[in-house]
Amino acid sequence: MADGRTPTGAGEDGTTSPGPDPVGPVAAVRPFLVTAGRVAPGPSGRTMPVETQVVATAEGLAVLDLLSFEQHDIVAACRQPQSIAEIAARLRLHLNVVRVLAEDLRTAGQLTVHVPDSGVTHDASVLRRVIDGLRAIPDSRGVLRDTD
Amino acid sequence: MTPTEPATRPSAAEAAVVRPPLPVKMVIAGGFGVGKTTAVGSISEIEPLTTEAAITEVAAGVDDLSHTPRKTTTTVAMDFGCITIDPTLKLYLFGTPGQERFGFMWDDIVEGAVGGLVIVDTRRLDDCYAAVDYFEHRHIPFAVAVNAFDGKVEHTLEEVRWALDVAERTPVVVFDARERGSVRDALLVVLEQALARSEA
Repeated sequence: MADGRTPTGAGEDGTTSPGPDPVGPVAAVRPFLVTAGRVAPGPSGRTMPVETQVVATAEGLAVLDLLSFEQHDIVAACRQPQSIAEIAARLRLHLNVVRVLAEDLRTAGQLTVHVPDSGVTHDASVLRRVIDGLRAIPDSRGVLRDTD
Repeated sequence: MTPTEPATRPSAAEAAVVRPPLPVKMVIAGGFGVGKTTAVGSISEIEPLTTEAAITEVAAGVDDLSHTPRKTTTTVAMDFGCITIDPTLKLYLFGTPGQERFGFMWDDIVEGAVGGLVIVDTRRLDDCYAAVDYFEHRHIPFAVAVNAFDGKVEHTLEEVRWALDVAERTPVVVFDARERGSVRDALLVVLEQALARSEA
């Protein structure tokens, strides 16, 4: 059946098998080398939720060419707001590596990090907006929304 | 290494006004291969992305002579997608890792979620117990969605409800993870639960 093809938990790129093995292509560099061995959470003490939004600052973009490797790629990816989960997936970095580096880049003034306030996201007015927005999604497959 | 892109570099004033959307998170849970990624892919505006999340696992350690639990860190895949509601609001859908033994280690993913959808395959009902327990114990609004593989379900919703022993207020619905409208409606059931909770 059509559904059977995608066991959840396996990578989309078909490189994985079910089970507890690490997923995806193996990085050439051990993941936490780039964080000097640090793991999340950072000095702020609170772990960033996976949907935390990150945006490059003007300062970060101005020094983009001076940044190296992962730092460069993260700031460049955040010209548009991104969640840390999206950054991790698109740059193929471990989620906790992104957490550590995002905290570093925030401290350096090169990114802004917007940790969602669960009091706000659980507010009835926000939930109603999500409900109304979802109801507007049509049944059919194909283009999700009108592009204008 | 990278060419400079003066044309696309925003001025300081432009960059300063970029405000990210408010991210609202829902969690899609259930047993392995039950259709979580399919459901996310049916409604997400992007192809589902996969990232690696670290989970801490307390090993029971039957071979462990010291009888002390060992904590190990395991990396698991997590698929997710998103729906832009408007420029200021974005819905994220995160699939939990499918392996049941990771059920109690979802906090890293679930923290702050407005609700959860537990997908059930009626041929393997017991695969979803961990997810149902998880949401009930953490008082997270959720609904049970029976995935109609090939348009069929092998048990009535009453049988599923009885087998799972979910609370009366927890909705149990049938849906098709491959159909966008069907996934949308299942998510709406969860959001209505969350709304009722926030207004209570």
